[in-house]
This record gives sequence, structure tokens and C-alpha cells, in this order.
Amino acid sequence: MINTTFLTSTLAMLQDGHAVDTHAPAVTHAATQIAEVGTGPKWILLIIGLPFLTSILCGIYAMIGNKTKLPAWTVVAGSGIAFLTTLAMYMSFDGTPYTVHAFDWIQVHFSSEGGDKSMIANFSFYIDTLTIYWMLFVTGLATLIALYASEYMSHDLGTSYCRFFGAFGLFVFSMACLVMGDNLLMLYLGWEGVGLCSYLLIGYFYKKPEAVAAAKKAFIVNRIGDLGLALGVYLTFVHFGSLEYAVLFNDPTLLGYIESAKTGDFSAIPRMAQWIPLLFMVGAFGKSAQFPLYVWLPDAMEGPTPVSALIHAATMVTAGVYLIARTYPMFLTSEYALPIVAWVGTITALLSATIAMAQFDIKRIMAYSTVSQLGYMFAGLGVLTPTGGVYHVLTHAFFKALLFLCCGAVMHGFAGQLDLRKLSGLRSVKGWGIVTLGMFIGCINLAGVPFTAGFFSKDTIIAEAFVTPGASMIGWILLFTAGLTAYYTFRVFFRVFTGPVEYHAGEEHHGDDGHDFHPHAPGWAVNSVLLTLTVCSIAASGLYFVGGNKDTHTKHYAQTMVMASTANYESPYSKHAIHAAHDSHDPNAGAGPRGTIDHELSMPIIGGDPHKVMYYVSAVFGVVGILLAALLQGPKGWQGLFIGGRTNAAECRMDPIARMCGPIPKMAENKWYVDEIYHMILVTPLRIISHIFHWIDKLLVDGLVNIFGFLPRLLAWILKPSQSGVLQGYAVSMAGGVTILLLVVFVIILQGGVA
Amino acid sequence: MTEKLAFIIPELILFIATCLVMVTGQWPVRAIRNFTPWICGIALVLAGMVAAMTPGDPAALFPNIMPYAKFIIAAVAILLVINLTGTVDRELEDDVDNGKPFLPIRSTGAEFYAFFMFSITGLMLTASADDLIWLFLALELTSLPTYIMVAISTHKNQSREAAVKYFFLGALGAAIFLYGFALIYGAAGSTNLSEIAVHFSDNGLGTIGLAGVLIALLGMSFKIAAIPMHFYTPDVYQGAASPVSAMLAFVPKTAGFLAIIAITATVGWNEFGRLPATVESMLWIMAALTMFVGNTLALLQTSVKRMLAYSSIAHSGYMLVGILAGPGPDGAPFYRNGIAAILFYLLCYGVMTIGVFAVLGAIEKRNADGTTSEADDIEDLRGLCKTHPVLGWTVVVCALSMLGFPPLLGFIGKLGLFSAGISAGQIPIVIILGLNSAIAAVYYLRLVAVAYLDKGDKPATVATLSPYASRRLAGVCSAAGVVLLLVVAQPLIEGAHKAADFNAPVPHQTDTQQDQPAEHALADHEE
Repeated sequence: MINTTFLTSTLAMLQDGHAVDTHAPAVTHAATQIAEVGTGPKWILLIIGLPFLTSILCGIYAMIGNKTKLPAWTVVAGSGIAFLTTLAMYMSFDGTPYTVHAFDWIQVHFSSEGGDKSMIANFSFYIDTLTIYWMLFVTGLATLIALYASEYMSHDLGTSYCRFFGAFGLFVFSMACLVMGDNLLMLYLGWEGVGLCSYLLIGYFYKKPEAVAAAKKAFIVNRIGDLGLALGVYLTFVHFGSLEYAVLFNDPTLLGYIESAKTGDFSAIPRMAQWIPLLFMVGAFGKSAQFPLYVWLPDAMEGPTPVSALIHAATMVTAGVYLIARTYPMFLTSEYALPIVAWVGTITALLSATIAMAQFDIKRIMAYSTVSQLGYMFAGLGVLTPTGGVYHVLTHAFFKALLFLCCGAVMHGFAGQLDLRKLSGLRSVKGWGIVTLGMFIGCINLAGVPFTAGFFSKDTIIAEAFVTPGASMIGWILLFTAGLTAYYTFRVFFRVFTGPVEYHAGEEHHGDDGHDFHPHAPGWAVNSVLLTLTVCSIAASGLYFVGGNKDTHTKHYAQTMVMASTANYESPYSKHAIHAAHDSHDPNAGAGPRGTIDHELSMPIIGGDPHKVMYYVSAVFGVVGILLAALLQGPKGWQGLFIGGRTNAAECRMDPIARMCGPIPKMAENKWYVDEIYHMILVTPLRIISHIFHWIDKLLVDGLVNIFGFLPRLLAWILKPSQSGVLQGYAVSMAGGVTILLLVVFVIILQGGVA
Repeated sequence: MTEKLAFIIPELILFIATCLVMVTGQWPVRAIRNFTPWICGIALVLAGMVAAMTPGDPAALFPNIMPYAKFIIAAVAILLVINLTGTVDRELEDDVDNGKPFLPIRSTGAEFYAFFMFSITGLMLTASADDLIWLFLALELTSLPTYIMVAISTHKNQSREAAVKYFFLGALGAAIFLYGFALIYGAAGSTNLSEIAVHFSDNGLGTIGLAGVLIALLGMSFKIAAIPMHFYTPDVYQGAASPVSAMLAFVPKTAGFLAIIAITATVGWNEFGRLPATVESMLWIMAALTMFVGNTLALLQTSVKRMLAYSSIAHSGYMLVGILAGPGPDGAPFYRNGIAAILFYLLCYGVMTIGVFAVLGAIEKRNADGTTSEADDIEDLRGLCKTHPVLGWTVVVCALSMLGFPPLLGFIGKLGLFSAGISAGQIPIVIILGLNSAIAAVYYLRLVAVAYLDKGDKPATVATLSPYASRRLAGVCSAAGVVLLLVVAQPLIEGAHKAADFNAPVPHQTDTQQDQPAEHALADHEE
């Protein structure tokens, strides 16, 4: 399944100066940037400090029994100022990465065989374009979503409200640590921090068993990934002797490995170093919900919707993408890491898209679509376009947050109703115009309608898959998945927002069977946030046309940001290689795998350059998906593009087709029984083993412990008579004791001959 | 001999104060009588300050041990003085309050404080000892007054019985180690410890020398309440008034350890930091048995004083690990130096144990016949944190510290013993030390639980505060010490480390043959 030669050959191709990512031909300018790491101004620490402060303040509010919206405003203000600070940091950034030191954290100095070593992990922050890029949307979205949540959570005013915003503030702090930390240990701190906040917020409705189960599931599945990351961090330290990015990515050993990777000579790289990216990858798969560790994310939708939007769609789940982008140089040293990343991403994208097609819960559909889109991002990283992956992170963050918040507004307004068979024609209900608009903009982005942000970012990934040797299969699967995505996205839109008005109250409604049910339309906070996000989602497509840099040969904003960071696989690592290849005029330069690359590179897709052709091809797939959705799910009339035929909420043209397909739709609806399979092959055996160990513990270990607890008492009972209180007895005992001890020594002398 | 006077200025100060105390203790004027403890306290402060400034004896085996040891002795003794008030003459003073005349013949205050001061003087002299005879006299000066103090500490027969036991068994112990001293003198031909050390290092221990050292160490185990001479401990601690018990826990034990350090130093630790195998194996057995016996028997006690007596035995076992570890090679850091660990632990132990004894002295229970008696049963401490929070928390803090609960003082002390033992390669005894710390947790935590966890709504006995607030003060000082000494733990540890700087005798000739000592001594002279 995994074409292990494609990375080898691709990297080899870099020697000739052929840029794989044709959006960024021959980037060499940033070569020396990573080496120069200056010190930054201290006010940047506000980005870290303020969210932490807001979290503590929320705790204090809870203690003093606050029952107002004060926690929300505190967090909005804290995140807002953090966003403005990030903006200021961006404006003042001159292209040279720098670190900001908060305080010394871990500094261990020790001696080992190789001389004195030290492990340094300070509480300090590494600022480069990747950091700024990430922090801009993290703090920005956090502010908007906190504002949304101030209204959304208002039914819970009091301690729970404080708890929600306390965890929210802590999340922003942790995410900032993860993204901004200047060493892998800080990243790990943030990684665990966001995991904890995710756990706390999924289990926010802790009286609901499903929420508790989902929280536990998220935490446990993430533990598996975290173990991988932790092992990767250990191994990095053991192998490279440093965890600080500024040192690590300039490590001559690492640069040497990359040089040999470019020549395709992976045997020169120690096995141990090759393990590091594989372990990081496991961590990234856990946090970013990739196959086979994706199962926690759909269940995580049990948390309040703002949480789903911020943590489980826009920011936290992209931490895995960030990790791989940040440690991209290390991924280049492994023969298998990037191909695995690409394939896992692709499989996840396809698998979860098929599941999303058969779900009826709109929030759940969005959850699976998140998993699917994350799959795209990983595929992008895997096919050597970190730009595509990272750009998709940004566009996805906006439109998916928007989609979730729209779903949340529906859920909020219709008393928890999320079933698309019980909602119809919301666009015609008074007060739902902005939600409908937001949903529409989100849907066209997700479906990849031409000229939307989602179209450009997804397109970058798919096109790159076709030009990366050996990965064209990935490209076809992703292209097919894009069609499925368009279908399931517009299935939601056509079912819920168009057609005849019809709605049933959800389970949270406490009235007379919904006859007197009146949905309450979202208020100003929700609407303004939705409008802002709608504008952002549209504007994100503009980033594809601006922000290019002629010096670095980057074409657009995201690329400029990525190529100036450690995620740039070409510089500084390729610089020497390119020069070497050009200078040496190696007669064998054209032989070997590169010959095939040139062939593959020139291979046109449908008679043209893949990058150009892909605009049309993927547009066709997207439009076909939408038309299918309109045909099968759309209502009668113009709302269904004149091809729909739905007349009520519950039934559509898809139903008879689904029945013809036999058990397949049912299987997709039941998520291909992946949870059940996991339960059977993992959970049940573990449960059995745990029961066995429980009994071993109870009988054997406890027994041993009890014996050890009993022995001293037994000894005491034996010794007690010696304390008779009789003077003569004591004197005799003492003299006897002296004699016995002297005799013992005498015996030792006799036996050992020591004197 | 006069040059030795320079080293014993603190002892001289204490001696002068003792003479003063003997007079003021039974002065007819109440104010002057009441000033007696202050004289002791002032003398101890002076002595401690002078001791800290006095340089050590460069000729001694431990050249710097004197200033540090005398300083901690003075410091703990000040706590003891605060704790001792009101132990004797209580009925007499009550009578004086009721208008009866003061009868010096009935008063024991003068003797009591004078004997206390004599004992502390003896303890400091033990630290100064560089000679077997001096060591013996100093040890006896430390112990003899305590026999009488036990006897007069209460009017109960129990105290007298305890005193008689203590005296006879103490005489037995003294006889044993004096016998050992005699044998050492017989083997080495000198009573000077440094000369003995040189002799042993040049000529080996020899059978007589070995017997002398072993017997002396066994005799000294009486002072530190270790196997096999530990039997008296619970009876005597229980029989004496708790302020005196507190003193017994610290003073003879410190004297005993100073003497053991001096005696083992004459034998010396080899280049691997080990004692001679015979001495080591005996001390090993002593340490292991002492820990086990002390801790296991403490489990069964309901009397807090007896429990503390067994805990005292156990702590001696812990500290013997430090002797086994030894001072380590030249310039060894604190964590390798077992002697430094002992010197630091003695201070920790003194402070912690006085805290619990002070609380016992600070609460009284009213008996059915109207008399009052000291708290002793563990039930008397029930719910103390609620009824008397200051005393309750003192018990909690001190008991946790004795258990070695981080980050309290006892933990740091025990850490030194553990690390010294491990670095010296004495892994099995350190494992035993760890096991025993775990066993000890049971009874220390019971103390904590009774004082802290119990709500105190059903007091088993009617406990009232003792009229002597100074005992509460002593308890609070101890508890504060357990916490606050952490702040100055570093200088104290450095002091202990400096004090434990071992001045190993330089062998005169490396290829010395042990069976012909005289000829080689002669050869040395010719060179």
C-alpha cells in the first residue's frame, strides 16, 4: 500500500532544483533564516499570560458565586487582547525568527559517556511565521467563539458558566504554549494541556452519561497518541541532545541526515532517528483524529457546540498538523513517515466522508467532515506540500467553525434538534437569515465550489498529490472524496435550510409535544459572530491571491508564511544540495530514480499541467456532488435547483436508492462498525485482562501486602515478653545480648578468617 | 593539659552557671528561684555562641566536630530547659502560694536544674573528648545526673522504680564499655584517641584491640538505646516525667553517638569507606535488629511515651547506618558522608521528639481522686487539633517529621542517611532502613490520625492544659523548628558536613606486618 520510494525519489529530484511544489519554485532565500534566532520583546508574553489569567479569574468568580456573564466578558477580553497582541507581533515581525524568554523551567546538567550534557527546556517561545500564522487564527477564533458562547451558554449562568470559561481560557493558554513553545517539551505541555481542556469541555454536561463516556473516550484514545509523542520527544533528546527548535533544526547531524535522504540513501540514517517522526506521527494521529485513532472526535460532539467549533474543528485538532509542519525536517529523515502520513490522511478522508454521507445528526455530519478534512491536511503534508496542508488548516478553521456555530444555533433554537429528517426550510423561518447565509457560505467552502477558500486550499493538496511521484492514487482518492464531501455537505443544506417549513422540537423541549413550540432565533452575539466568520471564510480565499513574495518565489500568503518557517523542506536543507548538484556536473545525475521522476513529472493529467487542470477537475467533482445532493435531497422548485423533488422533511429521493443498496447505507450509518470492532478486538480483551489482573492484585499482591503488614505485628508479639519490666531480667538479657553478638562476630571471624 | 582549656570554654561557662543554679534554685525569694531556668538558658545561649566560635582541635580525628556538636547541643538544650519548667517543686510552690513558708529542705529545684546542667556539660565534654579516660568521665557525667533527675521528676513510685532500673542497667553498660576501653588501652598502649588510631592503622587491630572496640561499642549501645542494651528504654521513659523523658531521648543518645563516632574513628574506614569486616558486621546486626525491634514493638503501644521510647530505639538504628557508611573519602560531599548525616540527624531528632514530649507535658488529665497526671495514653491526644489546635498541630507536624514526611526536617535528615548508605554501597541495610521507615509510618500516622482526624467530640478523658505555658512554648518551638529549620537547613547541613571532616591517621608504613608491631615502630623512628 505504501509506496516507499516516492519520498526518496522526490527528495532526489530536489537536487536538480525542480520544485515539487510548483507554487514555490526554487525557494532558496530563507536558507539562513532559521540559523539566526534573536530575542524578542517581552510584551509577546501577554499572548500566553492573559488567557491563563482569565482562567484563574473564572475560578475566582466561581468561588465568589458569580451569576452574571462576567466570566464570558473576561475571556472575550483576554482572548481579544491576546489576538491584538498577536496582530502586533505579526506587524512587527521582520522575517527573522526569535525567541522570547519567560523564565527558566527545566535545566538539567549531567555527565555522560559523551561528556557533559544538558537538557534545557525553558518556558520560552519561538516566534516564526508558522507560529504567527497559527496564533492569528487561534486567538482570533477563540475571541469570536467566546463571544458566541457568552450567549450560547447563558442558560447555565453560575458555577457551570465559570467552569466553562475557565476551561476555555485554559485551552487558549495551552494552545498558545503548544504553538509558541520554543522546545518540544513546551509543545508537549501544551499538547497535554489542550487534551485536558478537551476532556473537561467534552464532559461539560457531566450528568449526561454519553458526555462522560465521550470525554473518557477522547482522553484515552489521545493517551495512545500522546505516548507516541512522548516517546518521540525522549528519542529526540537521546539522539540529538536538544529539544530546543533553534538548536535542534540547525543540528549538523540532522542536516546531514537530510542530505543523505535527498540522495535516497536512507541506510546512512540511524534507525533510531528514523523512528522519531514515526512516533511523532502517532501523536499527531491521536490529537488530529486520524485513522485508526479518529473514533473519539465524532463522540466529542457531546460537548457544547462552541467547544466543538473551537477545539474540535478549528484549533486543537490541527495540533497534529502543526506538529508535523514544525518538525518537518525530521520527517524528511524517515523513509516511511511521510508516505504513511499521506496514506493515513487519504484513508481517513475517504472513510469518514462515507460515514458522513449516511448520518442524520447534522452536528455529527460536521464532525465526520472535520475528520475527513483533517485527512486532507495530512495528505497534503504527506505529499510534500506543507503549504497546502497548512493553508487548508486556516480555511477549514474558518468555514468549519462557521458551520459548527450554525449547527449550534439550530440546536439552540430548536431545543436540541439535530436530526435533518425533522428540520426543513429554516431559511424561510423568521430570524434565521444570517444562520442560513452562514451555513450556505460554509457549505460552498466545504464543498469546494470554485473561487471559495476551501476550493483553493483543497485544490493545492490534490494537485500536489498528482505531481508527487507515486502518489497519484492518493490524488484520485482525494478527488473522489471531494465529490462525496460536496454531496454530504449540501445534503445538510438542502434538507435543513430549504424546502417546506417543518420542524420538531428536540428532546430539550419541555412542552406539549412540540405543537406549541416556537424556535427562538439567535441573538446579536451569535449573529454578529456568524457574520464575522462568514466574512472571514469568504476573505480567506483572497489570501490565495495576495501575500506572495517575489524574493522567496512564493505565490500567496500561506506559502510565504510556511516557506519562511521550519516547515519549509527546501531551505536551508536543500540549498547546499542544489548547489552541489549544479557544481559537480555529476555525469550520473540523470540516471537512477530521477529519470523516472522527470518522466512522471511531465506526465500530464487529462492533457495538461496538473496544477492548472486540477482547478477544473476538482470544480467538476464539487459541482457534480452538489447537483447530486440537489437531485436526491433537494426540495421541489428553485431551492432545489429545479431538479429536487422533496416535499416534506422526513423523506427524499435518496431513501428508495438507499433501500436498493441493501445493507451498505446502514453500515455507513453505523460508522462501518469501527467502534464495535475496536470494542471487540481491543476493549473486551483489555477488560478481560484487567479483570485477571484485578484478581491477581486482590489475591496475590494484597495478600503479600497484608502478610507484610502482619509480620511486624507478629514479631512484636514475639518480642513483647522480653519487656517484662523486671530489672534482673533486663540485666540478663543485656548481658546475654552482648554475649550473643560477640559470639556472632567470633563465628564470622572463624568462617571468614578476618581478624 | 592547660592548652585543652581553650576547647572547653563552653563547658566552663555551663559549669559556672551550674554552681549559680545550685544556689539560686532554693533561694527563699520566689523571684530568684524562678530566675533559675533563665540562668540555665542564658548560660546555654552563651555556651552555644562561644562553641560556634571556638575553633576545633586540629589534632583530633574529627577536627571540626566540636563547634558544631556543642552548638546543636546548646540549641536543643535550650528547648529542653523551656520544656523542663514546673517538673519539680510544684506542690511546694502551691503551698507557698497558700501562705506556708518556703522550706529549702523540701525543694529539689536546685538539684534538678544543676543536674540538668551537669548532664549538658558532660555531653559537651563528650564532644571534646580526645582521650579514653576523658570520654569515659564525660559519658558518666552525662548519665549520672539523669538517673537522679528521673527519680525526682515525679512523686510517683513509678519514677523511682525507673530510676533504679536506669541506674543499675546504666552501671552495667558503663562497666561493659569501660572494660572495652581497658582492652583498647591494653592493645594500643595509649589512651589518646589519635594515638590509638595511629596504632591501629599501623599495626592492625589485633585480637585484643578488636575485642576492646567491639565491647566498647556494645557498652555504648546502652547510651543510644540500641540492641542489645535497649531494654530499659520504655520503662524509664514512661516512669519519668515527660520533660525528663524528652531529655533522655536526646542527651544520652547524643553522647552515645559522639562516643561511638570517636571509637569507630580509631578503627577507621578503609579506602573503600568500609569499617573492618568484624566491626562492620556487628554494627550491621545491631543496626538492623535495633530498627526492627524498635519499630515493631512501637506498633503495639497505647502509651505515647512508650511508643516514643521505641521510636527512640528505632532512630538509633537509623543513625547506626551513618556509622556504617562512614565519612567517605576525603572531600566527600554531604550525601556521601554518613557521619555528617548522623550529626545533622541528631539535631533533627532532638527537635522533633521534644515537640511530642512537650505536648504530652502540656496537657494533663484529671484523675478520679482529684489529682492530675500527665497525658500518656494515646486517647488523651484524641481530637487535639480541634480542642487545642496549637498543641494538636505540633503533634501532627512533629510526628510527620519523625516519619520522614517530605518536606519536613526529618525527611531531610533521613535523606542524608539514605544517600550516605547507598553511596557507601551499604544497600541491604538501606533497604532495611526503608522497610522500617514504612513500618514506623503505622504508629506515627496513628498519632497524626488521633490528633488530626478525630473530631474531638467525644473526649475519652478530660484533658486540660498544664499551668506551665512554657511547655506549650517548647512544643511550638519544636514544631516551628521542624518547619523553619528547613529554611536554614543548608547552613546546618554544611556545618554538619564540615564537622564530619575525618582526619584519617596517616599510616607510617604501607607494608607494615601486623604480627611484629614493635620492630616496625622502631623502624619508623630510624627513618
